[in-house]
Amino acid sequence: MMQQIRSLGTHGCYFTKQAGILGIFLFCCLIRMVTPPIQVQRITKQIHFMGARSSIVILLAGLFTGMVVALQFYDTLVRFGSVDLLGSAVGLSLIRELGPVITALMFTGRVGSAICAEIGIMRISEQIDALECMGIDPYRFLMTSKFWAGLVSVPLLTALFDVAGIVGGYLVGVVLIGIGQGTYFNGLHNGVEWNDIEMGFIKSLAFGLVIIWICTAKGYLLHLRRTGVFGAEGVSHVTTDAVVFSSVAILLTDYLIGSIML
Amino acid sequence: MEYKSTIEGNCSIIALSGEIDLQSSPPAREQMLNALKQNHHLMVDMSAVEYIDSSGIASLVEGFQFAKTHDLKFGLVNISQATRQVLELARLDQIFLLFETLDEGLAVIQG
Amino acid sequence: MPELSESVVEIDNLVSHYGSRKILDGINLQVQRGETMVIMGGSGAGKSTLLRHILGLNLPSSGNIRIFGKEITRLSNSELSKLRTKIGVAFQGGALLTSITVAENINLPLREHTKLNSETIEIITRLKLEMVNLSGCDRMMPSELSGGMLKRAALARAVAMDPQLMILDEPSSGLDPITAVEIDELVLRMKRALNLTIVIITHELQSALKIADRIAVLCQGQVIFSGTKEQIHESNNQYIQNLLNRTPSNNQIEGNEYLRRLTGLQ
Repeated sequence: MMQQIRSLGTHGCYFTKQAGILGIFLFCCLIRMVTPPIQVQRITKQIHFMGARSSIVILLAGLFTGMVVALQFYDTLVRFGSVDLLGSAVGLSLIRELGPVITALMFTGRVGSAICAEIGIMRISEQIDALECMGIDPYRFLMTSKFWAGLVSVPLLTALFDVAGIVGGYLVGVVLIGIGQGTYFNGLHNGVEWNDIEMGFIKSLAFGLVIIWICTAKGYLLHLRRTGVFGAEGVSHVTTDAVVFSSVAILLTDYLIGSIML
Repeated sequence: MEYKSTIEGNCSIIALSGEIDLQSSPPAREQMLNALKQNHHLMVDMSAVEYIDSSGIASLVEGFQFAKTHDLKFGLVNISQATRQVLELARLDQIFLLFETLDEGLAVIQG
Repeated sequence: MPELSESVVEIDNLVSHYGSRKILDGINLQVQRGETMVIMGGSGAGKSTLLRHILGLNLPSSGNIRIFGKEITRLSNSELSKLRTKIGVAFQGGALLTSITVAENINLPLREHTKLNSETIEIITRLKLEMVNLSGCDRMMPSELSGGMLKRAALARAVAMDPQLMILDEPSSGLDPITAVEIDELVLRMKRALNLTIVIITHELQSALKIADRIAVLCQGQVIFSGTKEQIHESNNQYIQNLLNRTPSNNQIEGNEYLRRLTGLQ
């Protein structure tokens, strides 16, 4: 019995410490983000890597998601004779939920894992130590441009996803099934309000921040891991952890924002 | 770092003194390039230079290169032992024209 | 311009832990201006930890570390940054940034800390590369360099800002004997020409005896010897004699004990 309680205590202390370290990390990054100099060139490069290069993937994901959503909704709506609601159903589900969440999850898999691994490898090969010893602030050098790029890329990619999804819904609803074009777009126009777009946008901003935060922190703090595994194995563990934690954090944040704004 | 600039015929003489480091090498560099741009040969008197770092050496190299491309002569006068060692490490002692005294340098340049 | 103080590095009673394990147990060390101090010791003796403390990367459990007279554990971030521009470090694996070219690696501190124009920075970069015999490699990526070239590039970056103190972590280890000697020679030449104070961590005995002014030997977190090359030969410490004569430590085997260890019946 005592063993269980002791173990609970140890784990509790450990997780609280980790939460604190992550919080301080975020604070350090945020401060450097808003103080000059702003590294426009570096940020642009990161936006290209994170955003531009992900656009095809997100486009396809959006298209297929829209098609699936339209198909599923049609099947249900036709039973209630409310097929003319298809446009708004597709639009709302994409803009409010599926757009931000799926974009964020794909972004995590593609970009999050890459930046976590990159920073983790820099940590184990002493490159971050070298930066510090040259009097260069590693937060400013490595993180701030990624944070800004994430805050810019994720909302834009989400918007791309939404548009592609609506097109996908159109393909299934209008072209395949045969609902009227006007019906579809009218439904879309009537159902979707500014609040919904706002919610989607705020979610995507929050997701962008969470993903970049967790993935860079995991890589950067690799040397503080409890099991002390340093080296290639450490990097792979940390990258997996980063993707998993980011994904869970995205879903949690999704619920939190939804419950606040609805 | 201080500098004194004089002209003798077709040759400018810049006497540098003090330390030539990251802060003071840009003005020194400017002075040297300005003198060369007036189509004069250039002698840099290093007698009073206490310390010169890589940025200072780099400025000298730039001056030398500029002189060479414009068919002008560029010489260093009375470098200290420490400066000589740095030049040797960078293999520049074989590139620069080095003189013990100002008169010797002027004689070679104007001769 | 260097301030004229006698000791560049002063370590007083440094104690350091990793979790609950004590790594350094009261280290006392001084490095005077202009001298080359070589720190030797077996694996696990605490050399890397000591290095990290000198660089300000780790916080000690207790004790003082003064560099250029300043207590580094009590400096603000910007003061520490400024101090660090006077210290040049070459890490064991080079630790060059793999995403940029060799030249960009070397001029990184120059671009971050000075306002020199780009032509001057380029010339300085090439000067440093020439010093370490890597001319022509400025456009290469670090991953394209051989082991010896990587070490030399790390040296070039270490001297990019004309530091007064150089700290080298295993500069010639892992290299073939000829390249190792070349690196040693280079370090000696640089020290003389640039008037450096150097701290070297190594386990290569020949290198140490060649370049050191003074040697300190670490064993299990303590300094068991600190003195000149001549003095080390006169030491009657068994560990040091083993180190010098390259004899492995002789563990007497106790039959039953050994058998028990082998079969795991402990």
